Amino acid sequence: MDQIMVFQMMVSGAFMGLVYALVAYGFQLTYATGKSINFGQGELVMVSAFICLSLTNLGLPYGIMVLLGLLCGALLGLFVERSAVRLALEQKSEGWILLTIILGLLFFSVSENIWGRDDRPFPTPISSDAFQVFGISVTPVEISVAIGVFFIMGLIELFKRQTLLGKAFEAVSTDRDAAELMGISANRTVMLSYAISGVVAAMAGVLISPITTVGPTMASALVLKAFSVAVVAGLDSGFGVVAVGIFLGILESLTSYYIGSGWREVPGLTLLILALALRPTGIFGKAVIRKV
Amino acid sequence: MKIQLKSIAVLMLAGAAAFSACGGGKSDVIKVAITGPFTGGSAPMGASMRDGAKLAIAEINAAGGIEINGKKLKIEAIERDDEAKNERGAIICQEFVAMKDLSGVIGTVNTGVVLAGDKYLQEKGITKIITPAAGSQSMTQWLNKGDKKGPVDLSIFRFAAYDDIQAAMVIEEAINRKLTRVAFFYDSTNYGKSGFDDMVNQNKKQGDKLQVAASEKFNIGDKDMTAQLLRAKSAGAQAILIWGIGPELAAIANGMAKINLRVPLIGGWPLSMSNFVDNAGKNGDGTIMPQTFIEEPITPKAKAFIEAYHKAYNVKRIPSPVSAAQGYDAVYIFAAAVSQAQSTDTKKIKLALEDLKKPVHGVITTWLKPYTKWDPNNVASHEAFTREQVVMGMVKDGRIIFANDADRQRLIKNASAVKGKDSK
Repeated sequence: MDQIMVFQMMVSGAFMGLVYALVAYGFQLTYATGKSINFGQGELVMVSAFICLSLTNLGLPYGIMVLLGLLCGALLGLFVERSAVRLALEQKSEGWILLTIILGLLFFSVSENIWGRDDRPFPTPISSDAFQVFGISVTPVEISVAIGVFFIMGLIELFKRQTLLGKAFEAVSTDRDAAELMGISANRTVMLSYAISGVVAAMAGVLISPITTVGPTMASALVLKAFSVAVVAGLDSGFGVVAVGIFLGILESLTSYYIGSGWREVPGLTLLILALALRPTGIFGKAVIRKV
Repeated sequence: MKIQLKSIAVLMLAGAAAFSACGGGKSDVIKVAITGPFTGGSAPMGASMRDGAKLAIAEINAAGGIEINGKKLKIEAIERDDEAKNERGAIICQEFVAMKDLSGVIGTVNTGVVLAGDKYLQEKGITKIITPAAGSQSMTQWLNKGDKKGPVDLSIFRFAAYDDIQAAMVIEEAINRKLTRVAFFYDSTNYGKSGFDDMVNQNKKQGDKLQVAASEKFNIGDKDMTAQLLRAKSAGAQAILIWGIGPELAAIANGMAKINLRVPLIGGWPLSMSNFVDNAGKNGDGTIMPQTFIEEPITPKAKAFIEAYHKAYNVKRIPSPVSAAQGYDAVYIFAAAVSQAQSTDTKKIKLALEDLKKPVHGVITTWLKPYTKWDPNNVASHEAFTREQVVMGMVKDGRIIFANDADRQRLIKNASAVKGKDSK
């Protein structure tokens, strides 16, 4: 009996960990090309979830709602790039840190005013009735999270490896100046990475909303953990975020089972401190020699 | 020059007169503040309470107002959103204290907010009727405790089925179902903790018939309750007895379904909040909680109230029927006190509240002497509700219905009979 409980906690934690991984992946995408991060990524998740909720309330079918939601995510990502990141990058300043935080706060206030402060249920055709696998309860909604995360990440990785545009993306990530000399527009590539990052945020919103409900604060805890995951894994390993995400999810889950739910956040933060102290490039990160 | 000076003097005199008119308590409206969380997780309770109260105010004003010394005065509602935040509650109460001609305050949903703010009102003797905050501490904080003497004069009243009554009913329900092992769940707010203490005390009082399999805490905003629920499950809990508010309660109900923990969920009245009922969906069906009002038109008065509420706010279901009905009745009780005091002075209204001569016909029941002079050894002196006005409600298909038909029949039978403390 007790063993099953432990496995149950691990499975529940792993699903949550996949969501951390997805949001962390959004951080990686923009860091790769522009060496910048949208600190308002959590707000993008939240705003996209609210937009999807409104679209559903208009009576659109689930599939179309998801597509439109992802499109809105891309537009929001582009908006962040244009309004907060590009200027700062052009001036080679670190202003994007503050600007993306400010933009996040702005998104927060705007959605509080449009949609209110309440948590609302998110209708989904996917059932949340649990079924048993080897005595462990799993819900179809959780399965959909796993499928969604792997689907979108797989698609983006495929895009980066197989298409010309994707190769440009990789080229800019590796060496911006060299890529520009080859005739690749670094600016456009950064724009693209923000758009994709927005799509990833919207996808995360669609996937977790049925579990967490939709509200202005839905992503605030999530984004902090996702950031830990991205840093611990290293800011350039897609495989790394999945591994670290799942690990952190399980660790949290077991902590709350054995020690108490109030201690849930502690292992993640400890891990973050350890990683920064021992391996600043992340467990899966490549050590880069910085030429000055 | 002379004329100018003269006119300035006249203006100043006029100004002073106007100032004293608004500051002297002789205004021609009765100012009543309504406060509670109108946004956020507690909003269904706060907003329903406000809307129920405003419905009563609109009815009183439509009839011309309250007659004081031969002059009919209308009630003016001042609304303040405390966002269920303790610090907001404290600031709002300080603002109320600064208002010169405030006749009284009605509201507050969250026990923490009550504890943060009411001391300012009590200090200045401003009359407040707390509704629907049910946490025991809201009133027991004024009692004598050992060496620490409570105030001999209290301007704070409560109009809610306080947690001691509710906890007694919850424990009773579990015992009646022949359960022997239960898990206590509670949120980490003042409300949750004091509800947990009440359940533990009531269990002791009722003969320690329930074994406590687990005592689990959760935080506001928690979405994943798997860990706590699994511990309860492995400890063999036959029921979850719970004190919390809507969104987290829904997370518990959904978590129970997920880990296949099919045991009764019984707890404090927030289990009737719309954000519990909606977010839990069918996982919330069968949940049991004490209620002071069920949205069923079983009496003519209830029917009129429900229809008026639906029409005024364009809804098909009251978000929190208990809060709405209590807000409504609280205004009528307050109005009766104003009428009896023949004054808008908050201190005189307080005295009248402690000795209401006439019965007040509310939607919950007919209130006969709901309050008596404050006794720092007996919290019931400023509590309106007794066990008999409270019934068990149950969630079914997104609505709250009577859990026991006997309660329903009893209320129908007693609808015309006068009830209250004295009938006991």
